[in-house]
Amino acid sequence: MTGPLVIAVPSKGRLQENANAFFGRAGLSVTQPGGARNYRGRIAGLDGVEIAFLSASEIARELAAGGVHLGVTGEDLIRETIADADAKVMLVTPLGFGNADVVVAVPEAWIDVRSMADLDDVAAGFRARHGRRLRVATKYLNITRTFFAEHGIVDYRIVESLGATEGAPASGAADLIVDITTTGSTLAANALKVLDDGVMLRSEANLVASLSADWNAATLDRLKIILDRIEAEERARTMREIRADLADAAGLATEAEAAFGARAPFPAAGGPLTLHCPAKRVYDCVAWLRGKGAATVTVGRLDYVFAADNPLYAALSAHIGG
Amino acid sequence: MTSDTLKRLIAARGSIMVDPPLLQPADVFLDLAGEDLRRRLYLTQGPDGAELCLRPDFTIPVCRIHLDGGAAGRRAEYGYVGPIFRHRASASGAVTQAGVESFGRADREAADADTLAFAIEACRAMGVADPAIRIGDSSLFVAALDALGLPAAWRARLHRLFGDRVRLDRCLARAAEDAGNGAGGPAGFLAALEGSAPEAARAVVEDLLSIARINPVGGRTAGEIAERFLEQATLAAGAGIGEKGASFLSGLLDIHGPADKAGDAIADLTASAGVDLSAAIESYRRRLAAFAANGIDVSRIEFSAEFGRRLDYYSGFVFEVEGPAGVLARGGRYDGLVAHMGAGGPVPAVGCALWIDRFEIGGAK
Repeated sequence: MTGPLVIAVPSKGRLQENANAFFGRAGLSVTQPGGARNYRGRIAGLDGVEIAFLSASEIARELAAGGVHLGVTGEDLIRETIADADAKVMLVTPLGFGNADVVVAVPEAWIDVRSMADLDDVAAGFRARHGRRLRVATKYLNITRTFFAEHGIVDYRIVESLGATEGAPASGAADLIVDITTTGSTLAANALKVLDDGVMLRSEANLVASLSADWNAATLDRLKIILDRIEAEERARTMREIRADLADAAGLATEAEAAFGARAPFPAAGGPLTLHCPAKRVYDCVAWLRGKGAATVTVGRLDYVFAADNPLYAALSAHIGG
Repeated sequence: MTSDTLKRLIAARGSIMVDPPLLQPADVFLDLAGEDLRRRLYLTQGPDGAELCLRPDFTIPVCRIHLDGGAAGRRAEYGYVGPIFRHRASASGAVTQAGVESFGRADREAADADTLAFAIEACRAMGVADPAIRIGDSSLFVAALDALGLPAAWRARLHRLFGDRVRLDRCLARAAEDAGNGAGGPAGFLAALEGSAPEAARAVVEDLLSIARINPVGGRTAGEIAERFLEQATLAAGAGIGEKGASFLSGLLDIHGPADKAGDAIADLTASAGVDLSAAIESYRRRLAAFAANGIDVSRIEFSAEFGRRLDYYSGFVFEVEGPAGVLARGGRYDGLVAHMGAGGPVPAVGCALWIDRFEIGGAK
């Protein structure tokens, strides 16, 4: 008896809404029987899959430990929570929400400090001047340590901060901070500025796979279905279907692929020329088709595009197999 | 039994055996060795919330014992055998170390030699008769920085990179070009200030900060910020170290080979560059003479001018003893440690530690 494939999803807030919307778009609607109090859920119409509602940082830990197969969480938490993350998990695909940068921010008054090199100078002379090390407030202990080491900065201490980090310099708890920021307005309100080369990580929510979870024939089969739908939705979202009444469909399709990256999904079919074109190039492609003599061109959105290949599954199963 | 052998050797030097508490305040280690050590510490908490760690080395705990026992500058010799604890990826975190620490000896070179002699003797007693020995001495490099009369900012940067040749070379290249890195600062404004009396310039910057209603937060004063802002002005005005200075320093760092030839090599280099390092070279030669007096064959010691530790309390001589199973012993002079631990000025201190487990791996019985 093998267990289900477990997907960990954030248990509250905007991250949960966005994650549910993401799965919903891919035809994987997350149900939470018994309402928000229930910490286990299912995917409607798909057996052998269980949803675990966890906090975002728990998700990172569970992925590392192999307690769940897939999870939705921020890359910042993956890098912070998991030592040697790339050996334990794989970032399957970025999800386009939960965007935040992890940055080094110093008081605006430090007009002499614009770069990490400046910060190194200040850190090195700090003890001689003040009798203590420069203090950095952050909850990102590991990312900070790695980033500072890369910049050769050794003379500092970390003050662990579990909330309202941006207030630490003003309250005297620390001299500078490492924190996430989305718009920078919280930093500005606290008279802090980001160093020119002080962006440590541009983070967003990712679908993440655990490499150490129990991957067997049954869970791999569920994985394939899930990734197939995600892939089909992602492909559909970034494409538009263009149809035009033109002869020599085959010849034009070849040209369209070279010019716009548009592909003919049904090369064997007769009838009007059908192309799947990257959304950004649609109008260029339409103009070109009309130049070729098309009287009518239609453009439509797609719900799903299932293709023979499944790059997400291929990449992940290669990793798990290896 | 190896530890008895080592205890006998330690006692023969007249050192007091000490056994510092296994649990130590974590703060001291993080403060002295840097945050990077944290991921290797075994941490726990006391009932009052204070962060404690299993001792990750002996030098700092022994130094704490020394400071608790009386005047920091008094002469004292300590020895120890026991486990230290550091996280390691694929091996036990507990490792046995033995070593000696010496405080308060004004005859520094002789004390250096005694320490190295102990390490070699201990290796022999443990069955490694002829280990490879490498020495370095940051005070030569520091003396060179002083003799060149470098701008304070460059001197500080180069000094703290000693021991990391890659970063040091990068920094030397920048210092040679420049022009200062100027930190990309507002060069015109800095140029306008350049040359004005320091107090006047500082007052201008402090005024600007207050006009902009920027309150100094984060533990640095307006005066301190102004001072470094002006230091940038000096750098931006082109006070680099010059092509010549840079090539002299990298020439010095390149010197390596048998220890008994290195003194002459350094003297030749300084003579041709017209830089006076005679005091530092003299000290180097005194140390070699002390090695020889201890029966150490100096022609078999490898000197490497770039060899050092990037911990700011190490203050000069360092050494490494290597056997078939890797580094067996490491030691050096750390005159800055006692001061960093809050006991006034520098106190002469030198010591070394041996990794006992590595002798057993090496097949030495």
